[in-house]
Amino acid sequence: MDSAVEFQGLVLGQLDSLYNYALVLTRRSEDAEDLLQEVLVRGLQSFATYDRSLSFKGWMFTIIKNTYIDRFRRQRRLPQEEPLWATRGVEEPVLSLDNPLCSVPLAPEDLLLRREAIEQVREAIRRLPDEMREVVELRDVEGLAYREIARVINRPIGTVMSRLYRGRNLLRTCLVELRRAVEPPPRAADQTSKAHDRL
Amino acid sequence: MIDCNYSKAKVFPYVDGELSELVREEVEAHLLGCPACRRMVEGELAFREACREWLHPEPAPERVRAALSDTLARLVDRDRATRGRRLMRRIGLVAAAVALVALGAGGGMALNTHLLNRARIADFTAAAVEQHQKLVRNVLPADISGVTPKGAEAWFKQRLGFNMNLPDPHTDGLTFIGGRISHVRDIEAAALEYELEGKRVSLFIMPEEAYRRLNPADKPRFTVMSHRGYDVILWQSNGTGYTLVSEVGGRSCLVCHSPAEKVEEAIAQRTRSPARL
Repeated sequence: MDSAVEFQGLVLGQLDSLYNYALVLTRRSEDAEDLLQEVLVRGLQSFATYDRSLSFKGWMFTIIKNTYIDRFRRQRRLPQEEPLWATRGVEEPVLSLDNPLCSVPLAPEDLLLRREAIEQVREAIRRLPDEMREVVELRDVEGLAYREIARVINRPIGTVMSRLYRGRNLLRTCLVELRRAVEPPPRAADQTSKAHDRL
Repeated sequence: MIDCNYSKAKVFPYVDGELSELVREEVEAHLLGCPACRRMVEGELAFREACREWLHPEPAPERVRAALSDTLARLVDRDRATRGRRLMRRIGLVAAAVALVALGAGGGMALNTHLLNRARIADFTAAAVEQHQKLVRNVLPADISGVTPKGAEAWFKQRLGFNMNLPDPHTDGLTFIGGRISHVRDIEAAALEYELEGKRVSLFIMPEEAYRRLNPADKPRFTVMSHRGYDVILWQSNGTGYTLVSEVGGRSCLVCHSPAEKVEEAIAQRTRSPARL
């Protein structure tokens, strides 16, 4: 098959994912489109070097990320990575599969996982700090393996795990907050009645 | 035997299927005898499953999808054309012979080529107007501002791989606003914004190679188009392609030339009856 036509078919099959990742990085639809225009040119130019043993999506994500970095470098407007409030001023912890730095994940059974709750999950992901949002999107929305994510963001796998761990826990915290915001607090009468029941 | 803390630390890689077989077996052995950890893993798996089922990439807006599909189609066409040109070079004399045979159909082919070139320029014109509108609305903000055109020229030269010469005429009513690296379709260009007598003018500067791909006729020197009420002027000079987009026709040439020069007059005639898309 004509390689350009093959490239075209592969891109069209992943267009939503490519747009979504470009949007995660740029946060503006116009910038995401502009970025992807450049990515398509670069992608086709280097398509001959694409290693078929890797996922096409992961390969394109790497080009998106590199193009995004080049563009900001060109514009001398490096994006400010927002430090997590809990780790501000603290060196980013790095995990490994053998020696993970983590405590207890928040109990997921506490979360309401109905279909209507999914918009809350999306909203919570959008609220994550950039570096965590990127990894959570790549893993939980795009389904990339840890090693693929490490390749895309050009960081060690331990950093991927660390960001994913902190991102997911923060995501749960956001979800609990969002639920509290939409659910009214229990009425005093109810609490009294429950207290009576317990007695 | 692993303890609960170790097991809890492995929850995410476990549910993500990222543990080695040995560690996975250790975790599973612990889960068999620990209802608390098992409950946590089950909850986590349920959360992952729900995410997998309901969380999908946000769909690209129809407009973006159409623009990107368009770019892809053009890239495929260009790739074919490039490979076609290589092939033509290889077969050399054979191609010449074929050309002789095809002489009879020459008229039709010339017309076809002419129409193809017009379509290419028309498409580029539409894209340039679209970029101009985004720049005017500040949807695409300037990368550099508060400098003279010569200052911007140095900035662009460091970042773009082609030579350019930014004009710096001192004309009343002309203000240089700023510039950014922009993409007109798949062409990387320096986009410069000016205000001329209260109207915005965009000047796109591109490498000669990209300009040549548009294949405008060598004569007349200026190709003048019109799209959605905007006047678009294309030309090349000293190995660089230029495109002006504005609503002021040939007056936009003041961006590059002082009023004393006669260039404006040279294209004024053509802007009175521009090609329309």
